[in-house]
Amino acid sequence: MSAPTVPNLLRDHLADLAQNDSRLDGRDQFGARELKLETGILPRAEGSARVTMGNTIVLAGVKFQLMTPYPDRPNQGGLMCSCEVRPIAGRHWEAGPPSPEAIELGRVVDRGIRESGCIDVDDLCIIPGEKAWQVILDLHAISDDGNLFDAFALAGIAALRSATVPAERFEVGQDSPLKVSKKPIMCSYHKVGGRFVYDASYKEELGGDERIHITLGDDNHVHSLQKGLKGIFTADEFEEIMEHAKSRCAELRKIVD
Amino acid sequence: MGGYGDVQMIDENGLRMDGRKPGDLRPISIETGVIPVADGSCRMVWGTNEAIVAVYGPMEAHPRKIQRQDRAVIDVAYNMAPFSTTDRIRPGFNRRSREISKVTKDALESVVLLELYPRSKIRVSIEIVSAEAGTRCVGLTAASVALADAGIPMTDMVISVASGKVNDVVVCDLNKEEDNYGEADLPMGILPNTGELVFLQMDGDLSPDEFKQAWDYNVDAAMEVHKLMIDALKGGDN
Repeated sequence: MSAPTVPNLLRDHLADLAQNDSRLDGRDQFGARELKLETGILPRAEGSARVTMGNTIVLAGVKFQLMTPYPDRPNQGGLMCSCEVRPIAGRHWEAGPPSPEAIELGRVVDRGIRESGCIDVDDLCIIPGEKAWQVILDLHAISDDGNLFDAFALAGIAALRSATVPAERFEVGQDSPLKVSKKPIMCSYHKVGGRFVYDASYKEELGGDERIHITLGDDNHVHSLQKGLKGIFTADEFEEIMEHAKSRCAELRKIVD
Repeated sequence: MGGYGDVQMIDENGLRMDGRKPGDLRPISIETGVIPVADGSCRMVWGTNEAIVAVYGPMEAHPRKIQRQDRAVIDVAYNMAPFSTTDRIRPGFNRRSREISKVTKDALESVVLLELYPRSKIRVSIEIVSAEAGTRCVGLTAASVALADAGIPMTDMVISVASGKVNDVVVCDLNKEEDNYGEADLPMGILPNTGELVFLQMDGDLSPDEFKQAWDYNVDAAMEVHKLMIDALKGGDN
């Protein structure tokens, strides 16, 4: 992504709005855009989901491959999460090798899902030391109007939960649903006009400062955190968004099946 | 092309494995305005293929060296999503997608009125999110709908269809099995208002008569698809 020029006008406008507890689209500080989650939408993927959050649209697809377990972990399969933001998603995304932004996106989503332990890698082993499943979650942005992080994380866990292990195609037994025991959910906050807001749009991201991503598992266990971009925040600010994340994650957990 | 004739793909009644007659197309649906942040967009579902296309621009062409003083350039990026096929595709550049991007660009530059936008660039991004066979045709056809949705002036839209041969029978719009085990594949890009061509490829083995039949199937199919495109553009959300 080429570095966009941010007009001071936009920053000033966002600061004015923040003063009046408002946002560009009229939401309040922790207001969310309309959210839609659909699963089983990609016929060639073993599991899939499409998340629409306002004008942001992302796809997630799950594929399986057979792998040889690593010598130090002969009883384990693998989970891989890869993210691509191609030029289709917006005029500010360009073709070429993954940008640092896209790599950060994929890795933060990956950590939340991996560290929650929602997929038992021991369960992915077929023959110890010889054969195991590698689960690959591919995240694909279609339309970027901000907060790709949350959209990807939600689409990712929903796609995994809808996935079928294609054992018959690989001739290693019977097809069965992929076991996903937990529901890690990410909530992201952007500093816009001097305060943190939830579910930022692209313009808010453009005219904002630092961002914080929080992934909470069942029972509000914290599974991943990431602070991105330049900016300073206080412990009180963090506490405030953490409180919101707990209630919002609980709401979103109900939407994921 | 794959094997020759060991797989029976035309039954005793002359029907294909998916029940189509030799000249029939797969089911097609077209939707415009599917990407809110793009200037024009299209989702085209064609059999089990699904292409999503965004058009951005005309906008400033950069880096400067790609600018043309007298016309716009079209930047086409065709890509298959990792989950679009039975076996996962590793993301990143490959020679196949580069070639398809290039021939798609060559086809679109033949119809867009480039001289109206000197020194600018029109970006066309084609993502195949589900692939069966004939993704280059679906991508090119969807791209011309997305350009129309973006209001980019063109002399005509492009409709791309492929016909081929299976079990010595010429068939229109090959599906996955027919593409894998068939004996020929002839994709064409047709301008519906004049019958002119802007895209042509072929591989396999066709006799002169078979070639004529495949060509005619493509032209007839293009007229059918053109009606669907017009309906989608007239009734679309944008």
